[in-house]
Parts: sequence; structure tokens; C-alpha cells
Amino acid sequence: MKEQSNIALKILSFIIIVLIAGFFLYSIPTIVKLVIIAALIAYILDPLANLFESRGMSRTGATIAIFIGIVCLIVISYTLILPLLLNEIKNLKTGFSAEQTISLVAKLEKVIISNLSFLGIAEIDLTGKLQETLSHTGEWIFSHVLDAASVITSFILIPFIVFFLLKDGREFKKSFINIVPNRYFEFTLYLFYKLNAQIGNFLRGQFIDAAIVGLMATLALWLVGLKYYFLIGLFTGIANLIPYFGPLTGAVLATILSIIQTGGLQMAAYVLLAFVIIKLLDDAIVQPVVVAKSVHMNPLTVLLVILIGGKWFGILGMLLSVPVTGFLKVVFHESIQNYRRYRA
Amino acid sequence: MSKIWENIFRKKRNADSIEEILVKIPIFQDLTPRELKTIKSILYQREYKTNEFIFKEGDAGLGMYIIFNGKVIITCGNDKQTLAELEEGDFFGELSLLDESPRSASAVAKTPCILLCFFKPELLDIIERNPKLGCKIIFKLAWTIGERLKSTNEQLKALNCQSRKSE
Repeated sequence: MKEQSNIALKILSFIIIVLIAGFFLYSIPTIVKLVIIAALIAYILDPLANLFESRGMSRTGATIAIFIGIVCLIVISYTLILPLLLNEIKNLKTGFSAEQTISLVAKLEKVIISNLSFLGIAEIDLTGKLQETLSHTGEWIFSHVLDAASVITSFILIPFIVFFLLKDGREFKKSFINIVPNRYFEFTLYLFYKLNAQIGNFLRGQFIDAAIVGLMATLALWLVGLKYYFLIGLFTGIANLIPYFGPLTGAVLATILSIIQTGGLQMAAYVLLAFVIIKLLDDAIVQPVVVAKSVHMNPLTVLLVILIGGKWFGILGMLLSVPVTGFLKVVFHESIQNYRRYRA
Repeated sequence: MSKIWENIFRKKRNADSIEEILVKIPIFQDLTPRELKTIKSILYQREYKTNEFIFKEGDAGLGMYIIFNGKVIITCGNDKQTLAELEEGDFFGELSLLDESPRSASAVAKTPCILLCFFKPELLDIIERNPKLGCKIIFKLAWTIGERLKSTNEQLKALNCQSRKSE
């Protein structure tokens, strides 16, 4: 009886601590977001730091070397890529004015009105709505995709957190493990080990896969002649981190923009063909090589968790929904499997 | 006493620092002071009370334990038959560094003790970061397990001889 009440007290204390921690984290969403992004970056960069260490560098030296590399990349991006990107966003913000496009949309509008007049549709102003939507597209992409990385505080805080997580990550882990009671000590390490094996490979694989797909999309769209090839290529790469939705969104966006740019369907067909080829290459070559042992999940579960993640936490939620679900899956699976062994 | 659990490498020891304990463990014997320092930095140090379980038979094993201080007994089965009694400087569970199969016996603290824990994720990390050191450890680990196997064979042979004589 006494033992049972002790267990109940422990569970209650645990729930209270989790709730307080949850409330605390909920009240500082921006910092939590920054820490999550920084932890992800540090986690992805960890093998690179290990590689430098295996070449004889100290951990601090390896971290500094990675940061020098990142600064070089930022400088290159600032001088070469950023002007191109800003130019494309500016062009997109000004919308479109191609006469061909306007006539194409006007034609489409006429067809809709004449065929659906029985529904009482007299005027839909498709051209105006499209113009209005497009004028906001650039801003939308900028605010939703690039904004998080462009805020000054993020630029200072994220590298700062990444540096310390990368340099002292092992000490942080050790300190955490040291506070775990003896009874759960080895099991906690076992969980960490399993999580690292499954989620780590998945995350790093997805990141490399997204970079390759982004590069392929940029190249393909440049070859096809799309005006905003770099912006859409970059968007496709980032969106590719979200299973199912990502690749589709990139293809749809590129197709719409190609129709708007040319006013015809020829370029759109090439764009679609390019995305089909990229998808095939990704599925057949890139993913099997890069994304090693991933979290085995039902496609329906993946779709549902992405939708829930998007609804609750926006784009970051969509990006993190699959790894977080994988994390929970591993924790529950291993906990249930080992429950009998570790109880009492 | 089971040769699998008994410390067949035991020598007279009088160590008071972690490095001194480590250098007497066969797995770490060939390491340089700098390498020993690296190993020391990745070890977990845990304190156990008398009669506290370090691990139980059937648990998922992930690594080895080195006794820095105190005494540990290894027991097996429901009747808790004692397989070995280990003391300062002894080590156990090293097979789990290679194999994730469940623990084949339980380890219980006989006296209050401090253990140094060396686990598989840390070994894999060492192999990735410092392949030379990783190779040294793996080589000595294989040697240690081979020695235990040889000792067990000898024990089996002796038991066979004994049973034939008694027949």
C-alpha cells in the first residue's frame, strides 16, 4: 500500500514538473523556437565536428573551423546569392504585368462565366485577385520562410547557441545523464542511443536530401528559363524537408509562376517534367543513399502529424512533426518493451 | 565461480585515481596518458548503496562497469546464485559493448560503491572521433573476451574431467 502511494506520488510529481516546464516553455515561444533551430543545426553539424576531431583537431578547434566555414558561406551568400534572391523577391512582389498572362486569365474568366452562368456567377475578377495574390507572394515567402533567419536577434542568438551546443554538447548530455537515478540510468542512455541512431540519421539524411533536391530544382528551373529559378529552387529545397507536402508545393508554385511568366502552357509542361524527373531521381538514387535508416512510420501517420504540426506550430511544426513523432515513437516503444524489466 | 564473470585479470592494486584504475583494466592497458584522459572524460561515475541493483538479469545491456570503490556481487537465476564477487579495480559487462543482448546475470552492490561506466555510444563516438584510439580499445576488448573464453574452456575441461573421475 505504502509502495503504491509512493509510486502515485512520484507520478504526480513528474506530471507537475512536466506541466510547469511546459508552461514555462510555452510562455517563451520565441526563445524555445530559437533553441530548437539551434539544436537542430548543432545536431546536423555534429558529424562534421567529429570528422575534424578525427583529423587531430580539438573539439573547440573543430567548432571554430566550422564557424569560419559558415562565415565564409554567409559572405559568399551575401555577395553572390542574396542580391539575386532579393531581386527575385522584389520582382515577385511587383507582381506580373505580362499582357499574355492577363489575356490568358481573362480568357479563363470568360470561359468560367459562360459555362457556370447557371450558378449565378456574373463577375469573378480573376485577374485582379491573381494580381493581388501575387503581389503578396514575395512578402509571404519572405515572412514565412526566410523571416526566422533574418531577424537580427536570431542572427546573433542562433550562432551563439549552436557554438556552445556543438562545442559542449557531450558535457550537456553527461550532465543530464548524471541527474538520472541509478535505476533508470542505463535505460536513459539506451534511449539516447536508440534515438540518436534513428532520429539522427533521419534528420541529417533529410537535410542533405533537401540540399540536393534544392540544387537540382534550381538547375532545372534555370535550364527551363523560369525567371525566379533561384527563389523557387531554394523554396523547393526547404519545402522538401516536409514529406509529401514539400515536393508538391515546390512543383505547383513553379508551374503557376511559369504560366504567369509566359502566358502559355509550354514552359509549365517542362517545369512539371523537370519536377517529375527530380522526384524520380530523389526516390531512386538520392534518398536510398543519403537517408539511411529512417523512422519507420505509416504514410497516413506522417500526413496527419504534418497537418497537426502545421496547424499548431506553423512551418516549424510541419518541419519538426515527423522527427518529433519518431522521437515519441522510439521513447514509447522502448519504454513499453523495457517496462517490466525496469519497474520496481 | 564463473570464469565469465570472475576477474581473471585481477592483480594486486592500490589505486586512488581514475587513471590508475583505468591503466590496470586490460581494455585500456595500451593507452597513452593522453588517451586515458580522453577515456576518463567520457566515463560516467555513479554511486550505489548497499544491496542496490546495478543491473538486472534480462536488462538491455549497453556497456561495462569498472569498480572504483566498493564490492559488487554478480548473481544469476531466481535463487540468486552468486557467480562472482568483484572488488575495486575489477570490471564487468564488457560484452555489452559489442552485443545488445539482455544481461545474462544481475549485478548488486555488496557495499556502498562507486562505479565508472563505459558505454557503447561513447565507444562508437571514440571510434568516429579518434579511430586510432578506438582500434586500440576494440583490439584489447576482443583480446579480453578471448581470454575469458579460454578460461571458460579450461573450467569446462576441468569439470568434464571431474565428472568422468566421479563416474
